[in-house]
Amino acid sequence: MNNYFRCFCAVLLLVFAGSLAAVDGPVIPHGKGDQCVADTDFMRRNHMDLIVHQRDETVIKGLRDEPFSLVECVACHAQTASDGVVLRVDAEGQFCQSCHAYAAVSIDCFSCHAAVPDSTDRTLGGNPAVGAPMAHSTVPLASQPPDLKLLAQLQFYVNALAENDHAKH
Amino acid sequence: MQSTSNSVSARRRFLQKLGLLGAASALSSYTLIEVSASTAQGASAVNRWGLLIDTAKCSAGCDACVTGCNEEHGIDATGRDDTRAQWIRKIDLQDNLTGRESSLPMMCQHCASAPCVDVCPTGASFKRDDGVVLVNKHTCIGCRYCVMACPYKARSFIHETISNQKSIAPRGKGTVESCTLCVHRIDANTGQQPACAEACSKDAHDAILFGDLNNPDSEISRSLKQHKAIEVRSDLGLNTGVRYTGL
Amino acid sequence: MTALSHQCLKPRGALYGLWIAALVIAAVAGLYCAYTMEHAGHHITGMTNRVVWGLPHVFAVSLIVAASGALNAASMASVFNVSIYKPYSRCSVALAISLLIGGVMVLVLDLGRPDRLIVAVTHFNFRSVFSWNVFLYTGFLLLCIVYLWFLCERRYQHQIKRIGLAALVWRIMLTTGTGCIFGFLVGRNSLDSALLAPMFIVLSLVTGTAALALCLLAIARSQQNPLPVATVRSLSTLMIWFVAALGYFAIVHHLTNLYVAEHAASERLVLGGSMAALFWIGFVTVGLAGPLLLLMKNLIADTDADYKTQKRRLQFASAAALIGGASLVYVIIIGSQVSAQRLFPGKTVLASSFGDVGNASYQPSLWEWGLGFGGVAVGLLIFQLLLRLFPFTADRQHS
Repeated sequence: MNNYFRCFCAVLLLVFAGSLAAVDGPVIPHGKGDQCVADTDFMRRNHMDLIVHQRDETVIKGLRDEPFSLVECVACHAQTASDGVVLRVDAEGQFCQSCHAYAAVSIDCFSCHAAVPDSTDRTLGGNPAVGAPMAHSTVPLASQPPDLKLLAQLQFYVNALAENDHAKH
Repeated sequence: MQSTSNSVSARRRFLQKLGLLGAASALSSYTLIEVSASTAQGASAVNRWGLLIDTAKCSAGCDACVTGCNEEHGIDATGRDDTRAQWIRKIDLQDNLTGRESSLPMMCQHCASAPCVDVCPTGASFKRDDGVVLVNKHTCIGCRYCVMACPYKARSFIHETISNQKSIAPRGKGTVESCTLCVHRIDANTGQQPACAEACSKDAHDAILFGDLNNPDSEISRSLKQHKAIEVRSDLGLNTGVRYTGL
Repeated sequence: MTALSHQCLKPRGALYGLWIAALVIAAVAGLYCAYTMEHAGHHITGMTNRVVWGLPHVFAVSLIVAASGALNAASMASVFNVSIYKPYSRCSVALAISLLIGGVMVLVLDLGRPDRLIVAVTHFNFRSVFSWNVFLYTGFLLLCIVYLWFLCERRYQHQIKRIGLAALVWRIMLTTGTGCIFGFLVGRNSLDSALLAPMFIVLSLVTGTAALALCLLAIARSQQNPLPVATVRSLSTLMIWFVAALGYFAIVHHLTNLYVAEHAASERLVLGGSMAALFWIGFVTVGLAGPLLLLMKNLIADTDADYKTQKRRLQFASAAALIGGASLVYVIIIGSQVSAQRLFPGKTVLASSFGDVGNASYQPSLWEWGLGFGGVAVGLLIFQLLLRLFPFTADRQHS
């Protein structure tokens, strides 16, 4: 009986600790521009499927000017520190890492992909190197947001799309 | 009896769901195609990209193409030449009989029947529709079988952790890579030459000519018709996309 | 014929404890080496972009090939009805399973991205010999497990011949597949030969039988139930034939290469260059001549000649054959990469910015040795575990 009680207490403690942590949530730095290529909620849930789909389109079919490219993600979401250094999106507290650490999902993208925008083709207007705060800046998006009404309304399609990708392999 | 009708209705519900799922997936693949079709055209079998290298114009001391390639793709020296990536290299040759010397760049030959594509267990080593042979690093497990299979020693395995990659050239430890024929430039569709050809022209050698082998009116096709070009190791019958003249 | 009874092997004693401890240490060290290699990247090994397959591949291929050959005793008993091998059937299948797992482990841990093993078993390119091998290895494991099960169940006795035959065919396919990994490489002069497939089969017979002989002798010792003289002599005869056949294939392979002018450079490397010492001493002397002489002596001797000497000869011959087999695999795998790939026949390479002149050098690092021996240790540990858990060793009543 005593053991059961101990177990119960332990579980209670865990739940309590968990809820405390959950209240905090990850602190996610704001990207450039007003909004992402799709709704924030939609992107939070589906960015991985969109990226994986885009990755196969790009590598195998050579379709590069589509909206969900990782280069564009990095271009908007990499922050510049106050000393003008551009921070990696997978650095501690940065856009990708903060959320992924919170969700305990490892990111495999940036062992190969650049985690900061190319210094030579930083086409996003202004001069990011001077250390202007990134959050809430009104820099226009590098690429046109696609007609996403369809996709944003129907997460359902994206799931099917992801399944489609999986089935192909 | 009750249980039987229950199970029948359950089965019916299941079948209904299955039908819905089928319709949904058909619909979704339709939208998928539509989304893709609305943008660029991508790699197509209409083209076959290749290079023609005029060894008569290539000089022995020059490695502009190698430097150009390394700069374009962010391939830095690691201090260990044996393990660092070698997408393109310069070779100086001498004919055993006549003593005539020649020099040339050697890189992935973008074979039509590429041995690296055949041996890759996961299909990571693949040929695009437009003939460019690439490594899909997302599915490369680093078994290095393609490095063993390549007759041209054109593939490199990444032996060390890499940082400061260029966004157009994702590269990382534990996978294999090789010349991409500057596929990002091809896809941009701006008529830009690959980095090696560009660097060669900048040095006023013009030894590397890039173009569409499938288009009979392209400069490369016309050149190929005029000059006697060879495939390196033509005995293997790989139908290379990179050809050499003046050897 | 009386039914055989089997038992689990439960050896005790300080020596056995020491042996297991040594294996565990080797296995852990191997895993640590693999971790270090993956973490730092392969540049800490002796491998380069000229020699991309190093010592781990030598160990892995040797282990996998030996695994297929370790099935010999079981095949002899089940398929060819050689009753002298009946008591060793289960042991032989268990050894095959263990060695295969050890070998595949080394192969996988030497990948650039072993964390993507899931990709290797979900994405297949059926033109790739490697892909076939994924199926050949897993199929072999499954077949062996079923084989063991049938061997242990009295009610399946009548099925043993069938499953034994299936396993025999499968293991020949497996070794052919392993040989073809190398034999289908058109870009490398010293490989590029269909001969490698049958040569690997014969190599598997040699090293598999040798490994099994050593294991049986060790088991007999711990059971204090010496192998019958007939078994020692039969194993000796088998080994003689296998070693002779391996020598034959090696001679034919090298004669072909010597005859073809374009292969001259890679042949010079093996017969007189940096691989020569390993080829002539490791393979020819230790791997071929040594075992042949020792085992011939065994057969010439009278049946009732000194048993201990015969046993010792078999022991030494088996160990020598294993070293010789590994040497041959080393010469094939490393030798094929060390020699420069010749791209321009009729021309001499004056200079190259990346190794087209002369031969590459390869010096295996400690990490690679560690990973290789770790694989051997894991294989042997699994074997010990199987023998402890299941009744795979025959009782002494058999004489």
